Amino acid sequence: MATKIYNFIFTALLLILGIIALTNFHSYMDQYEVGILIASVLGFSFFGIKWQRFKHFFITSFVLAFIAIFLYQGNLNQVETNFFLKYFLSSQSSIMWMSALFPLALLIYWFYLFVKQEFYGNFATFLVWAASVFATTGLLVRWFESYLISIDVGHIPISNLYEVFVLFCLISALIYLYYEEKLNTKKLGPFVMIIINVAVGFLLWYTFTKGADQIQPLVPALQSYWMKIHVPANFIGYGAFAIAAMVSVAYLLADNKFWRQYIPAKEILDDMTYKLIAIGFIFFTIATILGAVWAAEAWGGYWSWDPKETWALIVWLNYAAWLHLRLIKGLRGDILAWWSIAGLIITTFCFLGVNLFLSGLHSYGEL
Amino acid sequence: MTFSQLMSSMRFAIAMLSIVGLASIIGTVLQQNQPYESYMIEFGQFWFDFFEILNLFNVYQASWFLLILLFLVSSTSLCVYRNTPKIVRDFRRYQENIKEKSLRAYKYSFEVPFSDFKKNDLITFLSANQFKIKEKIINEKDVLIVAKKGDYQKLGYIFTHLAIIIISIGGLMDGNLIFKFQESVGSKEIELLDKPISEISKKSWLETSNFSYRANMLLVEGESQGVGVIPVKDGYMIQDLPFTVSLKDFNIEHYSSGQPKSFESDLIIKSKTNGETINKKISVNKPLNYKGVTIYQSDFQDGGTKLNLALHDFYSGSKPISMRAEIFKQNELIIENQKMNFEFEDFRLFNILDLEENGDIKPTNVGPNYRFKIRNESGQASEYESYQYPMLLEGKYFFMSGMRGSPQEDFKFLRIPADADRTLEGYMIFKDLISNPKEAKRAINTISKENASALNQNQKEIARGFNAIWQSFISGGYNNIALSIDQNVPTTNQEQVANTYIKIIHLLANNIILNYLENNPDSTLFNFDDIGIFTQDSLNAFSDSFFYGSNYWVELKDFEQVQASGLQLTKSPGQFWVYLGSILLVIGIFCMLYIQEARLWIMKKSGSKKLILAFASNRDHIDFERFVLKTRKDIQSLFSN
Repeated sequence: MATKIYNFIFTALLLILGIIALTNFHSYMDQYEVGILIASVLGFSFFGIKWQRFKHFFITSFVLAFIAIFLYQGNLNQVETNFFLKYFLSSQSSIMWMSALFPLALLIYWFYLFVKQEFYGNFATFLVWAASVFATTGLLVRWFESYLISIDVGHIPISNLYEVFVLFCLISALIYLYYEEKLNTKKLGPFVMIIINVAVGFLLWYTFTKGADQIQPLVPALQSYWMKIHVPANFIGYGAFAIAAMVSVAYLLADNKFWRQYIPAKEILDDMTYKLIAIGFIFFTIATILGAVWAAEAWGGYWSWDPKETWALIVWLNYAAWLHLRLIKGLRGDILAWWSIAGLIITTFCFLGVNLFLSGLHSYGEL
Repeated sequence: MTFSQLMSSMRFAIAMLSIVGLASIIGTVLQQNQPYESYMIEFGQFWFDFFEILNLFNVYQASWFLLILLFLVSSTSLCVYRNTPKIVRDFRRYQENIKEKSLRAYKYSFEVPFSDFKKNDLITFLSANQFKIKEKIINEKDVLIVAKKGDYQKLGYIFTHLAIIIISIGGLMDGNLIFKFQESVGSKEIELLDKPISEISKKSWLETSNFSYRANMLLVEGESQGVGVIPVKDGYMIQDLPFTVSLKDFNIEHYSSGQPKSFESDLIIKSKTNGETINKKISVNKPLNYKGVTIYQSDFQDGGTKLNLALHDFYSGSKPISMRAEIFKQNELIIENQKMNFEFEDFRLFNILDLEENGDIKPTNVGPNYRFKIRNESGQASEYESYQYPMLLEGKYFFMSGMRGSPQEDFKFLRIPADADRTLEGYMIFKDLISNPKEAKRAINTISKENASALNQNQKEIARGFNAIWQSFISGGYNNIALSIDQNVPTTNQEQVANTYIKIIHLLANNIILNYLENNPDSTLFNFDDIGIFTQDSLNAFSDSFFYGSNYWVELKDFEQVQASGLQLTKSPGQFWVYLGSILLVIGIFCMLYIQEARLWIMKKSGSKKLILAFASNRDHIDFERFVLKTRKDIQSLFSN
């Protein structure tokens, strides 16, 4: 009963938020963006109803974001003077908190793995949730801050390498948390947190050496509602593939006597890898198709063999091969695990390497 | 194993997927569709030839790449062809002729004891769980219930594989197969030279009836065109269009920080067949579709901006030479029997540089710049990049002009200090003054007098010394002085002497300016708090100008901007099929990955008090096991009371 009331309140809150957004900012949106807004309200409601903790997470993140917006009072300079903004809730501080909590979660997870006391496991999970809250708040506040700079500069913060790295950490963490809860696999936390922390490490390096955390206005090619769906869909794919690779690492370690006592059974790991790659594959497919449709609108052709496009195809082919490989009876097991780890390398190259080493149409996140 | 079995095998599919992936990498590592000369420079003749034979500069249009794709598509088609009948049959089939022995051999085979066979409850339970059910009486006494669900999972197989075929066909339709064929039989020919459109042979023209194309058009404001250009390998083809496009106006909007916010072309499109005209603005992400051709805003460049320039001689007091020029045009100038060819290459109205202002580094618009080459009689050229307005560097304003000897180098910038009115005039007066021997003589006289009395030395000797230093500087800058010090002064004293010389030059130059100010009390050009800084910067500029490669500073007085809009014109009949295939693909993947296919047999042998349950699925994994155990439990509880 309590859950039902909670669900009802959650859905109602989302609905109210959606309506407020629609009535206040309708003039800034085109019909597609209105569609995306409605779909988001429905999608997040559905997610919240299905997943109890998502509701806590969602409400906390939004409440923190609204506090930040309130504290800003419409003036970006508040970040210098307001204590809470400066140290907690401005997007950069929020993201710094995220960057502190993920490493801590990694540490506690490993401690838990060897000590095997549930308390530490739960604490680590809580830390991942907290980091995710800060990531979400950070992104939401950044979205608001971009409009404070200037109305025409304002845009959703998924447009450059800095922002998508935060998105990657957030989405990977959420995907992991979902499966951790559904499949009861807290023992995989130590492994999954490694890849998220690698991303955090890159993010910090990128912030401190290149000052990447500055908000930049959008180049004309990115000014499209497509960005709001293409980029998140892609990152669900990237995130799922990355976690799958880390589960595969655990799978390979499970052959070892020492590790076997600490990690879940191989069948569970295999099943989880499959589920992750399946969800990743479907989102990556959708993202690539959406990318093609967008390219047709912005670049004059749905496929130009641009390095990013080509590498997306390579990633797709790789996981298509993986899914086929899984159906060959004699070839399952370790080969699949190695293949999914290799998949992470390919995915990383597609996600990051293309921006670092190759040039093309898709050079929005150059270092 | 026959060939067709091999082609449709899973291993072959995996191999093909991997090979296509690997082959695709080539084109991302080696930049595609660049001018062939740049490949030649990069790889050398041997590798260039080798790569060209393999078609590595246009991998994705290479025959061998298409052949690999063809294999992938054939293999997929064969899979669909072989498996579809089976899947369709399975779709209808219930496998009700199965023997008890086979049922017991299944991995998930159970016995469920019962007292009362409540068939109707069982049927209700099964249908409530989305099972399709078929009942059969065997030997007029045994009951077999066959139930199955998730048939659409198998349909997913057909959908995904068919999708790949449809997408490939769509892609092929938009590829250049027809042109490749026409080129190979010689009815079409790639044009390799830059020519006016009217002189291009009909063999290099593609008709409006061309099935699919992606052509470019560069349109200068106020002009119109009825053809596009398709880059092919190291040349191009001309694509005739069913309409002409005129560019009424091109517009760039900028953010307050100066970065481009939008580009828009205001177009007039006139049909060639019925003269119908439409007027439409297009911009990035907002193309226009007309007569099956989509017109996109792709880029922009200069369209021949008109420049009004003044050439200042660095070393003489002669009047500046005025020159009118146009971007993409050449200007020949003969000065003192020296022929110089000016080639103007680009003009940009907005330029964003990261400049420091009050301690912050931020992107700043520094205003227009212009690029040009100056080619001497022997054909050698230096390239220049100059900014119209001075920019703020270290708290002072400088006019900047970069020079380089070849495109591989970075620009080396000459910084000319702006005067107090932020114009060039101050420096130009300065260099005229210091180049004037009379001025020098007067200054040397004054300064040497002051020094002679202070140092108690012979004034003439001092003046001679000053004069030597000054002449050395005027004829070659600090570099000249460094050279003479290197030759004539012992190493231990060099630094001290150099400092003295620099001080002397500075003193003289300062005196020259101060004298000018005395004679021109109304001039505001040198209204600096400390004129010494300006003198220093000007002396540096004068000294650096000897390395500028040209005797002239090319000043941009004003300009009339003409822009050109880069359009792309696409006819893409395959797009519909690619999109259709994509939708099918997503549905198919969803079916395959998220629908649990399951079959269940329940057999009641007459006389037995135990039901035989057998489960099977074409995807046996943890979820299926979970499903089996749950269903068995439900059925057990159905019969337990």
